[in-house]
Amino acid sequence: MKDLLKYTYLLDLEKIDANIEKLWNRYQKILDDKKSTWEDLNEARAILFFLGHMFTEEIALGSLEKRVKFIKPMISLDNFLLAVDRKDDSILKKYKNNKNFAKLRDFYLLVKGIKNRRKGEWYLDEKRFNEVYDKKKPKDYF
Amino acid sequence: MNKIISGKAFIVRSERDYYKIKKEVILIAERTHPDIVIAIKKVTAIVTEIDNKLCHAAIISREYGIPLLMGIADATKNFKTGDKVMVNLDTKTICKIK
Repeated sequence: MKDLLKYTYLLDLEKIDANIEKLWNRYQKILDDKKSTWEDLNEARAILFFLGHMFTEEIALGSLEKRVKFIKPMISLDNFLLAVDRKDDSILKKYKNNKNFAKLRDFYLLVKGIKNRRKGEWYLDEKRFNEVYDKKKPKDYF
Repeated sequence: MNKIISGKAFIVRSERDYYKIKKEVILIAERTHPDIVIAIKKVTAIVTEIDNKLCHAAIISREYGIPLLMGIADATKNFKTGDKVMVNLDTKTICKIK
């Protein structure tokens, strides 16, 4: 998680992608492994919260807010997000050869990839996580 | 985009709920999930309790051009499925109508 944050500071898209996958694979491995301990499952819980909320809605949003200010001609974050999500050519054509815009767009698409990731029946395999987590929950949990 | 939208509320508490949407609704949820796309053509507006530009509802709203009202505390408690409601995007409010 620290590495993902570090590479987000560096905006190294390849390593951001690799670290997202590394966390996702670790999360899946914990859920798949019947020998996973209560401690392992809380690691999975931390990954789920980090990928599903902290990274996507706090860290990535902060990074976008900060970096969109460096794009010229100026564009607000709302218009940037709208242009990418709607594939709005009237805005996108202005930034056709803009490397910063393209890099920030690709970063946002990586983040969106997490927000749209589902496995099994639920977003981020949450249903399975909840079932496994509840099964392992200690009786004296508080 | 229409700034005032009225219709019947549909409260989403679980991802399964999206599959129960049969008619046009104003969807109210704490937050939305990828399964919303199953019912997306029947969603005339989305109201969420959370407020974040990168939350799933915000992304879906931009992608599909669906009106979105975020940051309505306790919306899933204050409204129930079937309530007639009006969403005002200018005043960022939602209220029951008769």
